[in-house]
Amino acid sequence: MSNPVVHITNINLKYHHKPVLQDLSWTIKRNENWLLRGASGSGKTTLAKAIAGLTKVQGTIEVNFDPKSELPAVALYVANWYQFKDLEGQSNFYYQQRYNKQATETTATVRAELEGYGVKHRLQFSEAERLVDALGFSDLLHSTLIQLSSGEHKKLQLVRALWFRPQLLIIDQPYNGLDKLSRQHLNHLLEEISANGTQLILISNETELPSSIQHFAEIKNGQISEMSNADYHHVADEHNGIAVPEFLNQAPLSSADSIIKMIDVNIRYDEKQVLKNISWEVKAGEKWLLQGHNGSGKSTLLSLITGDHPQAYANNFYLFGNKRGSGESIWDIKKRIGLISPELHWYFDPAATVRQSIISGFFDSSGLFREANYTQKTQADELISYFGLTEYQDSLMNQLPLGKQRLALLARTIIKNPELLILDEPCQGLDQHQTQYFNKLVDELCKNGTTLIYVGHFESQLPACIEKRILLENGTVKSVETILESV
Amino acid sequence: MSNYFNTLPLREKLNQLGVCDFMDSAEFLDGVDALKGKKLVIVGCGAQGLNQGLNLRDSGLNIAYTLRKEAIEGKRDSWKNATENNFTVGTYEELIPEADVVINLTPDKQHTAVVNAIMPLMKQGATLLYSHGFNIVEEGMQIRKDITVIMVAPKCPGSEVRAEYVRGFGVPTLIAVHPENDPEGKGLVQAKAYCVGTGGHRAGVLKSSFVAEVKSDLMGEQTILCGLLQTGSILSFDKMVEKGIDAGYASKLVQYGVEVITEALKQGGITAMMDRLSNVAKIKAFEISEELKTIMRPLFQKHQDDIMSGEFSRTMMEDWAAGDKNLLAWRAATGETAFEKTPAGNVKIGEQEYFDNALLMVAFIRAGVELAFETMVEAGIKPESAYYESLHETPLIANTIARKKLFEMNRVISDTAEYGCYLFDHACKPLLADFMTRVDTDLIGKNFNEDKDGSVDNRALISVNEVIRSHEVEVIGAELRKAMTAMKSIKTA
Repeated sequence: MSNPVVHITNINLKYHHKPVLQDLSWTIKRNENWLLRGASGSGKTTLAKAIAGLTKVQGTIEVNFDPKSELPAVALYVANWYQFKDLEGQSNFYYQQRYNKQATETTATVRAELEGYGVKHRLQFSEAERLVDALGFSDLLHSTLIQLSSGEHKKLQLVRALWFRPQLLIIDQPYNGLDKLSRQHLNHLLEEISANGTQLILISNETELPSSIQHFAEIKNGQISEMSNADYHHVADEHNGIAVPEFLNQAPLSSADSIIKMIDVNIRYDEKQVLKNISWEVKAGEKWLLQGHNGSGKSTLLSLITGDHPQAYANNFYLFGNKRGSGESIWDIKKRIGLISPELHWYFDPAATVRQSIISGFFDSSGLFREANYTQKTQADELISYFGLTEYQDSLMNQLPLGKQRLALLARTIIKNPELLILDEPCQGLDQHQTQYFNKLVDELCKNGTTLIYVGHFESQLPACIEKRILLENGTVKSVETILESV
Repeated sequence: MSNYFNTLPLREKLNQLGVCDFMDSAEFLDGVDALKGKKLVIVGCGAQGLNQGLNLRDSGLNIAYTLRKEAIEGKRDSWKNATENNFTVGTYEELIPEADVVINLTPDKQHTAVVNAIMPLMKQGATLLYSHGFNIVEEGMQIRKDITVIMVAPKCPGSEVRAEYVRGFGVPTLIAVHPENDPEGKGLVQAKAYCVGTGGHRAGVLKSSFVAEVKSDLMGEQTILCGLLQTGSILSFDKMVEKGIDAGYASKLVQYGVEVITEALKQGGITAMMDRLSNVAKIKAFEISEELKTIMRPLFQKHQDDIMSGEFSRTMMEDWAAGDKNLLAWRAATGETAFEKTPAGNVKIGEQEYFDNALLMVAFIRAGVELAFETMVEAGIKPESAYYESLHETPLIANTIARKKLFEMNRVISDTAEYGCYLFDHACKPLLADFMTRVDTDLIGKNFNEDKDGSVDNRALISVNEVIRSHEVEVIGAELRKAMTAMKSIKTA
């Protein structure tokens, strides 16, 4: 029992010749469950992968499993980002693909995926069904992988890990994309699994955690240090002090009083109705919060607004004062919208550099296929510096930590100072300071008359400017309300 | 109906074969205006039909689909594709009479029947759009004189046409106007607008003619694109197994090797592909490919001659009339080859290993691309057209082999291409029999650089580089690739 489970001595790691982890040492004793946090790019993910044996670092990492345990002697790492391939083993997807029925049949169903996993690891399928049920997505068993939202993919990742029950389970960003109720269910399941002998390391900034998490650590300046529960929950207010670039500090060109007007909008795939009789109007300059449980239809609703859903043509709604399907192109629509979403991020051209990705915001393309003009390049320079990405500007997106990728895509979202901002969980993958910082930027931009639709599952992490809320439940509008006090 | 090309005087043959203009992006500034507000009706809703229609509608155009009555009543896949995406679907009688543009995206074999059915229903002055010129050029279909006949052919599978469009890019596209059917002179303007509607204008557009498209397309697909990729894959696999290389390894080396090798071709032409080899290996691959060119040149010439004279299409149409007897027999035989039946082994092959251990495949690809290009240019086809139908498309076809081998390649390509591919393959294998007896595992299966110190003669290397880099396919290729910016790279299996 005295033998520590994980014993890390003097590990070192560099990124682009710059030290990230420096002589880091950490000991995890048996039955300890930890929470690990750190700023974006601090080395959390690399450390977690090194413990699971997925990446090599300088120094020694010992993992001592319990030979008497019935659980598999495995340190399982659950990535912050889900991955899947189509039935031919390819993953050349585009983010709009899941709205197009013909293009969804090339990936496996959730059920087939889980059955394959169960056979491979000799697991009882009934247990998977229990977990799927507990996380509330049983009705998606027959959906294909490409149809899942980012939160649903996260649940699938979690089900696999909880089903496998390794001796050491490391979950990178377990709560990303999960609605409030799902986060509570997940905490119960994590408490259950740790009570049954699985040790946990969670990488997250979340404050509502399973009761079994009693140790908190932070990576800072290449070192790890344990912190008290109280320290963990205290967030300092930091600000980098750079002013918002001037070109964003002006009113966006606006053309219509009514930005969105939907009248009895319906979307269905065969028998499955995803949106039912949605009527909703967004007037110019309004700041909306769009909420709803995982699978309530939020992404589908947004895809209608961004010109990404083929069934838009069968519905009655107006964008920027024009009836949808009256001869406008999707590029006419997209040029007025700044969009970020987990799916846009996931399917973004991985072979683009940070700089190219940011400039692509002028053209609404997933990757850069056109030459930018001088003004556009200068504005990109200003945003690169504003978001602290100068040293990464020529790096490929897929070689950067998730948080840095996300900052680049946020810069892409706002670069053209659009009249409508659609921010679907914009702060996924960001640390607390970055989140606060970005939300303040949103407040600044919105002072100029920008219209906002914001989706966020974490009520403590919203911009102050939000004034209205629409709540979806199972594809219908549950409520629409004006928020007087800022949330 | 008689072969259109053969009815032309020589000067007109040369004139039409020579239509070839790589268009400047400034030619597309009018966007989709020429088709705005017009009724576009697509015949057929397979992969090309559906995906082109989705793009055109997202570009603000008015799209509907017309299908045969049986397809609608039987609720076939084509009907489902169209209705599930909220398109209007109707019979020929319902939709063709009001169409301003009718887009024929059915397979070659059905063209005569389809066009005979829709032409009487088309209104005066409407436009008929094809994506392949076989029906007009080889079958000699005569279209009513008031109708404008144009071609817009995206040079990628339908799923890619959609994927690249929504990413904000597009796929390279070829356009043409049939000179016998341009009564109002609006053909080119409409073809350009259609191109913008599918997103093709961002990735490079080549203005061609029906004749040049057919004669170069048939040549490319029969020889380098499908024919030689099939022959080379089978011969390379069989040789490795004969010499005792593990069959699973051999299968994987060939299946994914064609994709990895041609990825270098896609990014930087023959030069980049050859530069992936060490200096010694490059000189060896150069020598073998020169030998292969000498052996295969007469076969490439025969294919080009038969295509030009109409002999190829005549024999293929005979096979259509015989219920695809030859096609089906050859298809079955391909399914029975050892390469096809041996699954790729569960072994890791590094990206560089695909070059080092498959020098023969690199030599096959250089020889095939250069021969196809040279033979087309000698026959009067312009270098830009010849480039598209040889080097440009080779990586696209290689991707299909990486997915599911020759079965997948022959499933994805048209029946016309498949027929020509088998024809070439059956003639090419005996031609290479003697050459193959001299091939050992240093050329295919094992690392050519093993046991060599890597030294080369400077002057030999310089002269080999010179020949590779100054070939006309490299000169024209460098120019055309510049226009197709931001080509995505693939990952190693």
